[in-house]
Amino acid sequence: MIDYEFLKAHSLNEALDYLGSREGVKVIAGGTDLLVDIRKENARAKGFKYLLDISGLKELKFIEERKDCVAIGALSTHTMLVESLVINKHFPLLASAAKTIGSTQIRNRGTVGGNINNASPAADLLSPLIALKAHVKLRTLNGERELPLDEFLAGPYRTNRQSDEIMTEVYVPLLGEGYFTNFQKIGRRKAMNIARLNLAVVLGIKDDTVFDPRIVPGAATAYPIRFVKAEEAIAGKRISEIDPTEIGERASEEMISATGVRWSTPYKRIALASLVKRALETIFTEGKADE
Amino acid sequence: MFSTVNKPAERVDAYEKVTGRAKYGADLQFAGMLYGKVLRAKHPSARIKNINVEKARAIPGVWAVMTAQDVFCNEIGVIIQDQQVLAKERIYYIGDGVAMVAAESLEIAAKALEAIEVEYEEIEGIFDPLVSKESDPIHPERASNEVVHHKLRKGNVDEGFAGSDVIIEREYETQFVEHSYIEPEAVVAVPHENGSLVTIYGSVQNVFATRDAVARCLKADLSKVRVVQNHVGGCFGGKDEVVSAMACRAALLALKTGKPVKMVNTREESILESYKRHPYKMKYKVGATKDGKLMAMEIEAIADGGAYACQTPFVTWRSVVQATGPYEVPNVKTDTYGYYTNNVYTGAMRGYGSPQVIFANESLMDELAQELGITPLEIRLKNILKNGSVTASGQKLDRHEVSLAEVMKKAAEAIGYEEKYKEYSKPQRGDKRRGIGMAISFRGCSLGAEAVDAAGTVLSIQKDGSVYLYSGLAENGQGLKTAFCQIAAEELGIEMKHITFLEANTLISPDSGSTVASRSTLVGGNSVMRAAENAKRALSRFLAEEFGLPSSDLVFKENWIYTPDGKKLISFAEAAKKAFWAGVQLSHVGWYVAPSIHWDEEEGRGNPYFTYVYGCQIAEVEVDMGTGEVTVLNMAAAHDVGRAINPEMLKGQIYGGVMMGLGYGIMEEVETDEGYIANTNFDEYIIPTPKDMPNIIPIIVENPDPDGPFGAKSIGEPALELGAAAIANAIAQATGRRIRSLPLNLERVLLGYPLKKGRGRK
Amino acid sequence: MSNIEVTITVNGTKHHLTVGPKERLLDTLRERLHLTGTKEGCGVGECGACTVILDGEAVHSCLILTAQADGSEVLTVEGLEKEGQLHPLQEAFIKHHAVQCGFCTPGMLMSAKALLDKNPNPTREEIKTAIEGNLCRCTGYEQIIEAIESAVEGR
Repeated sequence: MIDYEFLKAHSLNEALDYLGSREGVKVIAGGTDLLVDIRKENARAKGFKYLLDISGLKELKFIEERKDCVAIGALSTHTMLVESLVINKHFPLLASAAKTIGSTQIRNRGTVGGNINNASPAADLLSPLIALKAHVKLRTLNGERELPLDEFLAGPYRTNRQSDEIMTEVYVPLLGEGYFTNFQKIGRRKAMNIARLNLAVVLGIKDDTVFDPRIVPGAATAYPIRFVKAEEAIAGKRISEIDPTEIGERASEEMISATGVRWSTPYKRIALASLVKRALETIFTEGKADE
Repeated sequence: MFSTVNKPAERVDAYEKVTGRAKYGADLQFAGMLYGKVLRAKHPSARIKNINVEKARAIPGVWAVMTAQDVFCNEIGVIIQDQQVLAKERIYYIGDGVAMVAAESLEIAAKALEAIEVEYEEIEGIFDPLVSKESDPIHPERASNEVVHHKLRKGNVDEGFAGSDVIIEREYETQFVEHSYIEPEAVVAVPHENGSLVTIYGSVQNVFATRDAVARCLKADLSKVRVVQNHVGGCFGGKDEVVSAMACRAALLALKTGKPVKMVNTREESILESYKRHPYKMKYKVGATKDGKLMAMEIEAIADGGAYACQTPFVTWRSVVQATGPYEVPNVKTDTYGYYTNNVYTGAMRGYGSPQVIFANESLMDELAQELGITPLEIRLKNILKNGSVTASGQKLDRHEVSLAEVMKKAAEAIGYEEKYKEYSKPQRGDKRRGIGMAISFRGCSLGAEAVDAAGTVLSIQKDGSVYLYSGLAENGQGLKTAFCQIAAEELGIEMKHITFLEANTLISPDSGSTVASRSTLVGGNSVMRAAENAKRALSRFLAEEFGLPSSDLVFKENWIYTPDGKKLISFAEAAKKAFWAGVQLSHVGWYVAPSIHWDEEEGRGNPYFTYVYGCQIAEVEVDMGTGEVTVLNMAAAHDVGRAINPEMLKGQIYGGVMMGLGYGIMEEVETDEGYIANTNFDEYIIPTPKDMPNIIPIIVENPDPDGPFGAKSIGEPALELGAAAIANAIAQATGRRIRSLPLNLERVLLGYPLKKGRGRK
Repeated sequence: MSNIEVTITVNGTKHHLTVGPKERLLDTLRERLHLTGTKEGCGVGECGACTVILDGEAVHSCLILTAQADGSEVLTVEGLEKEGQLHPLQEAFIKHHAVQCGFCTPGMLMSAKALLDKNPNPTREEIKTAIEGNLCRCTGYEQIIEAIESAVEGR
């Protein structure tokens, strides 16, 4: 049985104070992952003495368009992402991804910060945020730091968060001219799915040439990462020179070299290749249409 | 034609349910109530060397800790009494209960469970029926691991195959399936109430079977155990033995503590403990002429019976009767077997041995058609049963309309089958490919020769003209209460609002067997009619005397009673009042026994069911060839139900059955690994959501049955048993590849073969 | 483990409660306030039988600790009927045969109400999205969707 003391934070400072002054504090926001882990007595939910509730910190619940980025408060819910005009305008793939998480009830409670800090390999916001080169801000009582999201992640269900830190914001840099985005997710049914695989692709097209490609599969590797080899294979190339099928296969090879051959490899190798191929085909069609 | 029957009357229990007033087992509260919890086994196969409960007993707030030593009679079971209430010396499957506690709160109960020390010695378990078939008995008191063997014999298959131009042999396999009723099992046992030794309230599917089990366990008279059914949050056949075992446990704790004891399963406990649909391994050999006429079928189906016999003998019997499918086959040799294993035990689930064989034989028909170069429609039309046909079991179908051609035609027209089949037969390019597939069945109604098939209803006219109905059959949510009220209202010529259906309660309802086998409307409905007829007769005789009429052949309609020549005599309510004060008997039992049928176990033939429901479902799917995702676009479902007592409720059964069949076909599977169950909640055992719905076209076909009430037959199981097979056939057309195991999930569809998970134990 | 003082308003009535740190909103509603209309089907936020409306949003009450809900407003199925008058959604469910065993019904009603409060004129797809977290094993969903469609104003 897991027993703990419940602490409620009425302000960010109070939360940081608790984190800074006690050992064994687990932070709860929406609770949609953590409470399930506690019920199942998962290893990652054990060994804490205090449950610190930060769900009331309204100051961390916002989505703001700034000069060169969109700032998302860590307690913004998935529903907020889905409905935000700002997100839909600048990063529709993020809204698409958020829409596939859980159900309406889950999306009303689940938070961006929760999705990131839980760091599930199949987390649906991680792949788009990494593809968007998002940064995260972490605060302690005495200071703060900012780092790229892909450096914040450390492994399946593991991050580089220090025990006295709370994630407060996520910054997503605005994309300039000529960028296209795509998000896909494979599930075992049509709703309430944990991704069997997902894929976020962001890339720019100028003069029929690809620039700055970011290819990030989810639920494919230990945690979502940029598939740099696949990206290198298309960066600077003309669309007409790119065979999406071939890039799909490369991406699968890249996945297998990261994970080794697993029981699921026969399936994922084909399915990931399909997703990558489709992402590129869709984007290239959009790219042509834009001319 | 009818005033109440065949009309979409509103459900009689809907108000309670939409306001949250309806009380289900877990909602009940009694003064001084304790909470019961069960400690379950750590291994699927083991010997119990020692149990130490002293620490648990010492915890404040714990009122009782009991083990098998404290159970008066530890073996229960409907057919074979091999199911342990609590594990005594042996653990037979991972869900076995080892000890139980009653405590003042769930938290204290949980702490008590943690304090119970059990020493196990693991015994190597058997998890494949093909292995247990050849192994030493798992249950030491049995001679072998064979639970049952049924056979069906017709003609001579060797001659049949010799006369065939084409012979194909195929193997098919199906999976463990969880009923997934949204309400987990829940009971409250109250000791010494209302003259009973113990009363069981709760989510009970079969009040009489549960009563039998509890009485046996406590070594008490049947009349001393009272079982009352609350609102039940879904059963689908799944709340029989598992709830009986739970009731026995709660009863023991209640009698030990002298207090009411509530036992509610968490979803994890429910999935670990409750019996599942049998997985089947099936071998089919079929021979046909080059024109597509079936000559012979040889079938072997092996069911995983799991740890306890449960309903395996009857489930596999239905399979032996129906395994060929609804076809004229002159030579048939079918053998079905059930074997014990150390997997979770298996029992009744909506369909009851039919969905498995239908998946196999309907896939087989399409495969045979392909071999012969004819279409799936053609091969079926060439061989389907018709009026006067003789079935595989040797039964001549001459008492009712054999409407297979009709249901096929109507379903095909509704979905545009012929054009789509042609279209999708052409080579398809692109990643998204479509297919259309059909499945047909004949389903024997009610229990068949498995058991005594009788039911009773008490109909009691009150002195103000309102009416009570007590039936021995139970509302699982399917709408039984409403249908029975409609039948009674139709017979008595009064409005439904004057009729109240009382809960199934073993003290007042006549033992009518289980609410299973889609038998309620047919057998139960008939008992309602009989009761109403008996009541009418008594009332009519009295009125004939009262009014000096020449005949007591009166007409009951529109809340009034008329003479045969149409003269208004008296209102129903007035008549009831008069009759009451004149001392006329106004409470009547209607007892209905299903027509005589018989089965010769030795010979493997007979008349196994007195009537059949004919059904056809056609699925149109789109398959993503790059990811293995299947979208079921449209599903036509045509069922000859005889007469729809309530057409809207009937459609609800079809929608629900189609979705359950869809889940069976493409997503559901209880993942077992050496007896451990990996997916113990709905995050990992997935069932269809609203977004998985195809466009469902329900088609009600009515050819009234001579034996059914107002001609009605059944729908519950017919609606479920076809979906997976139809979808499998559609996927085969779309992908050009035949997969012979269920579920047709992402991996199977993409790869064409199942991927075995390399999972650790939980 | 120390207890926590909370104030929550349920169906318009304010309650001052002392709850344990592990107590879920579902448990508080069912066991303390005896509002058993909200059901437990899975405990992990999958089946939706525990759905209530919290501060205007549909949520799984099995995944909310009551201690987190201090100061919040909760609406349960018991709060739909007002002075003997059923809510149009409840009437629609009865009329359209959207109820079979009834166990998923309270959750479905709350998800539907949350939807219509936010979006009075939803499409069929939007209705499906609103109830995609409410599992039903009996009805096959069709008549539930028809009921919700009919309860939309003007239809």
